Amino acid sequence: MDAAALEHLGFEIALGTYLISSVLFVLYFSIKKRRLAEMGFTLALFGFAFQTLALATRWLYAGYPPWISTYEVISFFAWAAVGGYLILNFKSDYKSAGVLILPLAFVLLGFASMQPTNPAPLIPALQSVWIFIHVPIIILSYCAFVIAFAASMLYLFKDKQLSEAGITEGLNRKSDEGSRDTPPSGTPESTGTLANFSLEQLDDLAYKSVAVGFPLLTIGIITGAIWAESAWGSYWSWDPIETWALITWFVFLIYLHAKTQNWSASLAAYIAAFGFLSAICTFLGVGYVLPFLQTYVSVSTGLHGYAGGGAISGTVLFCGILGAVLVLLFATRKKPPNATRAPPARTDAESEPTP
Amino acid sequence: MNFAIKLLTSTRFAVAVIGLIILVSVVGTLYPGGDVVFGSPWFLALIGVLAVSAALCSLTRIVPLWRDLRRPQVEVSDHFMQALPYSVRLSGVTLTQVRDSLKGYAIRETMTESTTFLLAQKGRVGRFGPHIAHFGVLILLLGVAIGAAYGNANPYNNKIAVIPEGSSLQVDGFALRLDDFSLSYYNNGAVRDYTATVTVLDGNLVQTSNVTVNGPLTYKGLTFYLYGYGVTESGNAWVAFQIKSASGVSFVWVGAAITLVGIMLSLYVPHKRIWIKESGQSTQLGAISNKSSARFFREIEGVRAKLESRAHLDHM
Repeated sequence: MDAAALEHLGFEIALGTYLISSVLFVLYFSIKKRRLAEMGFTLALFGFAFQTLALATRWLYAGYPPWISTYEVISFFAWAAVGGYLILNFKSDYKSAGVLILPLAFVLLGFASMQPTNPAPLIPALQSVWIFIHVPIIILSYCAFVIAFAASMLYLFKDKQLSEAGITEGLNRKSDEGSRDTPPSGTPESTGTLANFSLEQLDDLAYKSVAVGFPLLTIGIITGAIWAESAWGSYWSWDPIETWALITWFVFLIYLHAKTQNWSASLAAYIAAFGFLSAICTFLGVGYVLPFLQTYVSVSTGLHGYAGGGAISGTVLFCGILGAVLVLLFATRKKPPNATRAPPARTDAESEPTP
Repeated sequence: MNFAIKLLTSTRFAVAVIGLIILVSVVGTLYPGGDVVFGSPWFLALIGVLAVSAALCSLTRIVPLWRDLRRPQVEVSDHFMQALPYSVRLSGVTLTQVRDSLKGYAIRETMTESTTFLLAQKGRVGRFGPHIAHFGVLILLLGVAIGAAYGNANPYNNKIAVIPEGSSLQVDGFALRLDDFSLSYYNNGAVRDYTATVTVLDGNLVQTSNVTVNGPLTYKGLTFYLYGYGVTESGNAWVAFQIKSASGVSFVWVGAAITLVGIMLSLYVPHKRIWIKESGQSTQLGAISNKSSARFFREIEGVRAKLESRAHLDHM
């Protein structure tokens, strides 16, 4: 078997495995059998191993890292997202997050499979040491934002469940002491799938993910600017990808400011979800736009390409709709009285007790 | 005036401005040609307002913060101790024992007639993180402004210069000569890279270097980028260079680096504080951190458990 066939096989197995794993997680959320989540997780691990094999094989035979073409970037992102999810479950039990991560990975891989897969030699503009730094750093930051998104969505689900169950003591609800050490007893059946973690843990997980992702995105934007400066003489040119990366940065900047101000934890969860959508816009923008590079003849072509103005709109529209859905959810949610305050454990200068 | 400062320094206001910038940017990328908004005066004004807000936020907060960190309140009330997120009464453990087992903390102590107070602090520099980040952004924006003011004023900025092989171009006090132009190829015939060999002639200085797609040449504040190439009818190659003024760019990089350091300090260096109050037989301990505190509290819990079990053994 030649290398390309081996890579293809690994890719197909990962695609299939992520699909089955997604189905298992969705089933887990509807019939709440713990075994389904365990199986889904094992399959995710299995699929990840095969995708790792596929990416490594490709790197070896293509001679450059697997994050250049649309197909590669998207597969790499899916791989990093699943990898982040697996690492997350290394020390604590957030397997339920698979209900968001695995379908995302499956959709991404499905999207990648529709792209041309033949490795093309690197065009001159992409031959830079920055391609080894800028691209993986950006992808890792998005991977952190995926985890922040999953944690935030689980937070919102759980918050809603608890409100419906009439538990309204705020973030540290007394009857919500779920943790990985103590299997919950006496919690309503409906919270079973989310019982392994408390609202506080989810809020903390989202914050920590953003705390990893935000500096990475900052480094990614700066290295991108340095690269742009050396490749075509301008560190910033407001091309759609740059602009969306900056929008993502601004959204998470709001998130971090909201956190220092102790604004409501569910508001923070919505902001993190928006930040993730913005990251997806940026990311798919790159995916759509990069192929245009291949048709450029000028030597100092833009690294993200300028032809993407139209192509990004479809993605933006898609994310806009998702964003609008989130806004609606936010506007229509039932707010329990004096609930969902940020954990008192995190405070800042303006809100701590005075001697 | 007071109202204006209050408004500009409030986080809500800054968040609202960032929200507006986000909205405008989204709209700017939606339409082909919509990116003109990024050069429009009112978009620049929005960025300006955000910069002023960040500057004032730091200016008004940094002095009280500095004072608070230099002369912290060591003597605290019982009410304060109990209001801290971590608050315990130690049994059989003295203030001195706790102090000796705290590693890497800056310690202050005061005594009144009957009571001894101790404050142990770690990670104070983290509290300056946001202000360092704000400062970095201002430096970065200063660089952008310098670039806009001086770069655009430079007559050579953004010009495209075409130099035939063997000829030279007279620029601001020096000349640039194109010696050679070559292409390298992959096995399948695709272009691997373009290389222009050029020589700077400036008085007695003669300096030859290669310009590639990712490797421009900078000399006397002007940067030459490979832009295009062609061949004349007589078979002679020519290369087009884009000239950019490098004004302000170093400020942008320095500003970006400072911002990054500020962000990392504020996210990764938690400011941890432990107060101990000892009067007579009773010792109270309270702690607070400005970041997620679970690990910090576990650490204190560990110290406390060790000391208490030792005290317990001593009593037996």
